[in-house]
Amino acid sequence: MDPLQNVRLNATRRHFLGECFVGLGGIALGGLLGGQPMHAESADTAADPLAPKAPHFPAKAKRVVYLFMSGAPSQFETWLWRPKLREMDGQPTPDSFLDGKRFAFMERFTEQRPTLLGPQRDFQRHGKSGTWVSEVFPHMARVVDDLAVVHSLRAENFNHAPAKLFFNTGSTRYGRPSMGSWITYGLGSEASDLPAFVVLRSGEQNLMGGANIWGSGFLPTAYQGVEFLRTTDPIPNLSTPPGFSRSQQRARVDAVRELNRARLAAVGDPEIATRIAAYELAYRMQASAPELMDLAAESQSTLDLYGAVPGKASFANNCLVARRLLERGTRFVQLYHTGWDHHGNRVNNLAGKLDEVALAVDRACAALVTDLRQRGLLDDTLVIWGGEFGRTPMGEIQELPGRNHHIENFPMWFAGAGIKGGQTIGEVDDLGFFVTKDPVDVHDVQATILHLLGLDHTKLTYRHQGRDFRLTDVGGRVMKRLLA
Amino acid sequence: MAGLGAAHAAPGPPFSAESIRFFETRIRPTLHSQCSQCHNDRLRTSGLSVASRDSLLEGGTRGAAISLDRPGKSLLLAALRHTGSLKMPAGGKLSAPVIGAFERWIELGAPWPEDAGSGGRADDAVHWAFQPVARPTPPLSGAEWARNAIDRFVLARLRDSGLGPSPPASRETLARRLHLDLTGLLPSAEEVRAFVADRRPGAYERMVDRLLASPHYGERWGRHWLDLARYADSNGYNADAERKVWMYRDWVIDALNRDQPFDRFVIEQLAGDLLPGATPQQIVATGFHRNTLLNLEGGVDFEQYRVEAVTDRVDVTGIVFLGLSLGCARCHDHKFDPITQREFYRFFAFFNSIDELSGEYSDAEGRARAFEPVLEFGTPEQYVRKNALNAQIEAMEAEQRAYQKELLGRQDEWEAGLSPEEVSRLPPGLQAILRTPSAERLERRKGILRNAFLAQDPGVQERRKAIAAVRKLLPAIPSTLVMRELAEARPTHILVQGDFLRKSERVAPGTPAVLPPLEASEPTRLHLARWLVDNRNPLTPRVTVNRIWQRYFGAGIVATSNDFGTQGEPPSHPALLDWLAAAFVEAGWSLKDLHRLIVTSATYRQASSHREDLAARDPANRLLGRQARLRVESEIVRDLALSASGLLAPKIGGPSVFPAQPPGGDDSEAVAREQGIRPIPARPLHPLLADEPAPRADALRQPGRADGLHPPQPLDHPAAGADAAQRQRLSRIRPRTRRAPAVGDERCGDLRAVVESLLDLPGTGTHRRRTEYPAKPCRGAA
Repeated sequence: MDPLQNVRLNATRRHFLGECFVGLGGIALGGLLGGQPMHAESADTAADPLAPKAPHFPAKAKRVVYLFMSGAPSQFETWLWRPKLREMDGQPTPDSFLDGKRFAFMERFTEQRPTLLGPQRDFQRHGKSGTWVSEVFPHMARVVDDLAVVHSLRAENFNHAPAKLFFNTGSTRYGRPSMGSWITYGLGSEASDLPAFVVLRSGEQNLMGGANIWGSGFLPTAYQGVEFLRTTDPIPNLSTPPGFSRSQQRARVDAVRELNRARLAAVGDPEIATRIAAYELAYRMQASAPELMDLAAESQSTLDLYGAVPGKASFANNCLVARRLLERGTRFVQLYHTGWDHHGNRVNNLAGKLDEVALAVDRACAALVTDLRQRGLLDDTLVIWGGEFGRTPMGEIQELPGRNHHIENFPMWFAGAGIKGGQTIGEVDDLGFFVTKDPVDVHDVQATILHLLGLDHTKLTYRHQGRDFRLTDVGGRVMKRLLA
Repeated sequence: MAGLGAAHAAPGPPFSAESIRFFETRIRPTLHSQCSQCHNDRLRTSGLSVASRDSLLEGGTRGAAISLDRPGKSLLLAALRHTGSLKMPAGGKLSAPVIGAFERWIELGAPWPEDAGSGGRADDAVHWAFQPVARPTPPLSGAEWARNAIDRFVLARLRDSGLGPSPPASRETLARRLHLDLTGLLPSAEEVRAFVADRRPGAYERMVDRLLASPHYGERWGRHWLDLARYADSNGYNADAERKVWMYRDWVIDALNRDQPFDRFVIEQLAGDLLPGATPQQIVATGFHRNTLLNLEGGVDFEQYRVEAVTDRVDVTGIVFLGLSLGCARCHDHKFDPITQREFYRFFAFFNSIDELSGEYSDAEGRARAFEPVLEFGTPEQYVRKNALNAQIEAMEAEQRAYQKELLGRQDEWEAGLSPEEVSRLPPGLQAILRTPSAERLERRKGILRNAFLAQDPGVQERRKAIAAVRKLLPAIPSTLVMRELAEARPTHILVQGDFLRKSERVAPGTPAVLPPLEASEPTRLHLARWLVDNRNPLTPRVTVNRIWQRYFGAGIVATSNDFGTQGEPPSHPALLDWLAAAFVEAGWSLKDLHRLIVTSATYRQASSHREDLAARDPANRLLGRQARLRVESEIVRDLALSASGLLAPKIGGPSVFPAQPPGGDDSEAVAREQGIRPIPARPLHPLLADEPAPRADALRQPGRADGLHPPQPLDHPAAGADAAQRQRLSRIRPRTRRAPAVGDERCGDLRAVVESLLDLPGTGTHRRRTEYPAKPCRGAA
């Protein structure tokens, strides 16, 4: 938005509130503090950057849950069945596929050219759609008719951290806002006592890229993602300390509010009202966050559906927390699960480690789709599954079977709001090297997510350093075939 | 390019600066973003180019795009309005206000800057920021209110708008404001009392001098500088591993505290290593441009990230000193400012020959010297010890190699002798290799097996252990990242679309033509540094005084403090900006003098109270009819909580202490160390520091989240005095002094003292009006 426009909006709001507060004093303020979301009556980003804003056009999706498989899952053991690759297992890689291409770990390539590695798992067709699914995903296979599986993703960068930055911010460079931040900037928050953009992590390994992938970049920091830790105290220092009762906390917040109100009455500066509202939100969050994280409130059948165990840190628990967040008005929930970087060493391989990580996510991913459908939420909730790039059809020559980084094709799936499920999109050559039909770039994914939320990716811009920036930079086409 | 444009530019009517500005802000960006991808001089889709006024008047195959005789009938408008068969842009109809702007623009006669050639340039010669710094005389009126020249400029502008200034803030407020602005710490109750009671002339000035002399001044303003320097104690990217560059941070704090003239401050940071007879401290200063990211993820191409780092140096130099977005010209000529892509790479060449991690190193070599160049600060004894131990390690390794060589002769024997049970206990990968006949094994797998064989041998294990033990004895020699030139300069090429693999024409170091020339036959980084602070360079002093101004008033005289280019905001007080810039340079670039000048002005000392007339006429407070109400940054909130509760560790400098990251254990010192010490990881961040942007020079810091996540931190962070166990641990660091009361704390002291220490108000409550309470609530109140 034009910064001057911001000021003008603010001026309008100052007039409005100034009169209200000075004229009506405690009455208006009382209404403000009555537990109602402050956003309801004001649509002004200057005073309240999180006030809900109308989309550019009617939205198909009201909320998004993005299951990010961190480390880059191998397409050949998950969604892309390449029988020809199995036939050619162990054969030298045709030169035509390698010449002029750059890969991660190039030095190892020149030491010894790797051979093709056949799929390490079996596939079967599932559902009415007959979509091929690997045996590592028996649960996702059961909901496959809800999923639109895209095989033809292409990434820009073959290193994890930059690729994750690109997926989330549209650029491999630091300092751009993340997708969730853009969405929150574009639409504001519908959650009265929880953040609009929440991140949950699971998995044993380090999440490469770290918190920058949900940062707000040059957007105001109010739009950055909030990470909920895997405990009953998801936001550090949020819960009242031991020995400190809720009523004592109320008294403390009240005391601060009284002082702020006195000042507000004296000077009528709307900034103070914003501050009071922020404290109230914090107070409400102190109650709502622990309630949110308390999975014991869920029925045993729901816990079983996800494989969730109250009190345990797991991807399954995070999926269930994600559903609870979405129900409570959070618009964008991103789950990161690490452990997909299957190179072929003891820590990361397509032997036992693939099964471990698949087991950790499969049931819960499927459960989330099923649960959202049962609760009538799938119609306006977009569910996304995918990693930051794919893996090579060649094996990596290490101790155990594994594959190198590959950016020329990799899969994602989409389900729910506005998505035509039960289809596959994009084609890849027989050996799984390159996209042969319907290529999809990362900016296209971003444009499509924004589109489903009612946002035109070319119009969602923010002026910074004299230029209007956007999530999709100068690219992005909405993936029309994906849409119902 | 400009010459080409001028060659076929018909003499147009002279346009007012205002109409040119209208074009630059409302029309050119749309032409650029919506039209020029197809309709440029090169492609001329349908014969049309929007690159110049002439080309629009000339039009394409459908005729003239704009008609000055009948503006409303212009083909361009019909296409934009979608009224005829031609509907543009192809991406969809533009909004009504944008179309309206085009209507107005054509009615105005399609103003276009005269010198703007086909490249679509702003009028280089006209743009205010590229003009020499003027030395305006302050307006004469306003003597009754003005305390110095600043006030005369400000008052004149206010009066022009029919407004007046605000009364001075209370003395309590001024004490608090000055302490927060100059040191980032609260004044003690005694300090406030003493100042309030000091009715002698010059009491305020004495407080200013005392604070400018405080070592915490360097910390406070050092933090601002380190934000610009994108200082971080970690590498960024994947694991965001720690790096050691804290000596540079300490250097900044020290340079500010001793008021090193700003021109020297700049020269040493950019090129201290190239100064004749450079001292170690001058080399430490060059850590400025080593605050670039370092990607050590497995499988990276080092050259790719070296080029990113050099690009970052150009970006940051442009933003921090010149207020120009040079980075926009990385892939193509700058769309708005007079910077060509070629000029970008000529600037790039200044930073391109650092002896750092690059594609010239293999993966293993590169990782071994990942942080080079560094400057070490070991004692002679440490080096003697290091050399001795290294020699010992080398000897041990030679012996180990000989042992292993002999041992490997027995590998086949070992393999043959493995029982099926022994094999089954091996990791599955090794089992698979063993099952393959040795002749068919791939080289890399043979290596894996060889390593496994060696690793199981007790003799090898013993040797490895012994070597590791000696390695542990190597002295930890403090070091810091610095700049160092390669013996032979690395050639610099224009990179096509910024892609490090697509080298085009070779270029020599040089500066943009729009700025005063750099006069040197073979310019180096040192020449560049001197050029930045040369008296003829109008940008560096303007940009610098503007940034400092911004810290005191919430917005700069130029609101877009990082962009003084044609897309930036024009200055609210152009004469004041130039007067300050000139005064700054004349006073020998003394930052402390500049601070003193600003904070002793009547403008700075005004009350910040809301005023209806100002809110109505000047809602953004650009005219400064009152002081701004600023929120302090999150790390200052933290320091205030620590200092108010007496828990702040007063130490300045030294290695950074990483604050405990939840949910891990808490480190008491980490919690209590203060602003100058807190490490800044390239990753965000301790949750208390919720408003911290990514460490980038252009990152926007907006203190005080309004979304509810900021308040709970000060409310409930251990340092705020709520958690008894935590507090006891912290209190061991500094177990005395003014501590905040907490419920259930039997050690609660005198409540009055607490109120005084937190709010800078006498705690008796009898002679203070209640409404005065947070006299400056946002600077102090959490």
